[in-house]
Amino acid sequence: MVPWYHSIITKLTVAFIILILVIAGLSVFYTFGATKTALKETTRDELVALASVVATQIDGDILASLQPGDEETPGFIKIRDQLYAMQSSNSEILYLYTMRQTSEGFVFVVDGEYGIINDAAGIGELYETPTDEMETGLTVSVAEKEYMTDQWGTVISGYAPVKNAAGVVTGIVGVDMSAERVIERQDFIGSIIYLIMLIGIGITAVIIGIISKTMIRDIRALNDSAEKISTGDTNVLVTVVRNDEIGELAGSFSRMVSSLKIMMMDEEP
Amino acid sequence: MSEISEKVLALTVQVLGPASRRFLERQTRFHLDGLEFDDLEKEHIPELSKWVGISARLIVDDKQAAMLAEMIKKV
Repeated sequence: MVPWYHSIITKLTVAFIILILVIAGLSVFYTFGATKTALKETTRDELVALASVVATQIDGDILASLQPGDEETPGFIKIRDQLYAMQSSNSEILYLYTMRQTSEGFVFVVDGEYGIINDAAGIGELYETPTDEMETGLTVSVAEKEYMTDQWGTVISGYAPVKNAAGVVTGIVGVDMSAERVIERQDFIGSIIYLIMLIGIGITAVIIGIISKTMIRDIRALNDSAEKISTGDTNVLVTVVRNDEIGELAGSFSRMVSSLKIMMMDEEP
Repeated sequence: MSEISEKVLALTVQVLGPASRRFLERQTRFHLDGLEFDDLEKEHIPELSKWVGISARLIVDDKQAAMLAEMIKKV
């Protein structure tokens, strides 16, 4: 009896498992990477679309007129309520706000949650870490390429220009989506990919197991016959029937055994 | 060797291997009134087929023996 570590079934199974793991690993690596990139691009497109839609709803003339201390004016309250209503209606949006560019940099004008949460920005509050995309947002709708971390958390943002009645840009609308939500989506898709791969590996392992088992069963049957003949027992029948190379081997072996029997019969007294 | 003998031998070799000639010679000698295998003719086929079916069971399994007998019968 061959030790298990030298058995063909062990070698076949190990070889197939390594093959499956390599193929599955490479597939997961590629698919997950491509999905992550695609998901981020989709999120950026969503942010651009959202910012563009919100920007068309904001009155650029009122926005331009708002100065520090105007937080209680009807104009401010109107825009804030609009922003808050849109923010509340879309669970994907974390923050919605408007900004404008001054000589000091980008400053907040209307924060959609002003008066609702404590750390909402007031008019004229300087945004300390402006990005190139904010500048671009003054001319076209755009989204950040990477996540940004500031005092309000880690987000990915989209911007769109707000124009007044004359078509002049008076500020930008900013839409923030939580990085956690995007990462949650990536993790969900990643889990699905891993699950599919695991099911695939499981099914393949079962198929390999079945094929190996039938192969090894027939090889063992031939081996047993050869063992018997080698010890002088010619009362052997080769019953292995297959259409593959093992079947051919069994056929040749069967003819050899038959001829041996015929010759031994002739020698009998 | 007659044409029939050659055909029967070719078929039998597929099942019983290189010692088929010895096997067939024994069948014709013992069961076909001492006939030499090389002199086999068409009329001997049914009887030979019958005895091959019986004798081959001692060498191969019943299914293969029956199959060989059937193949010889059709020669």
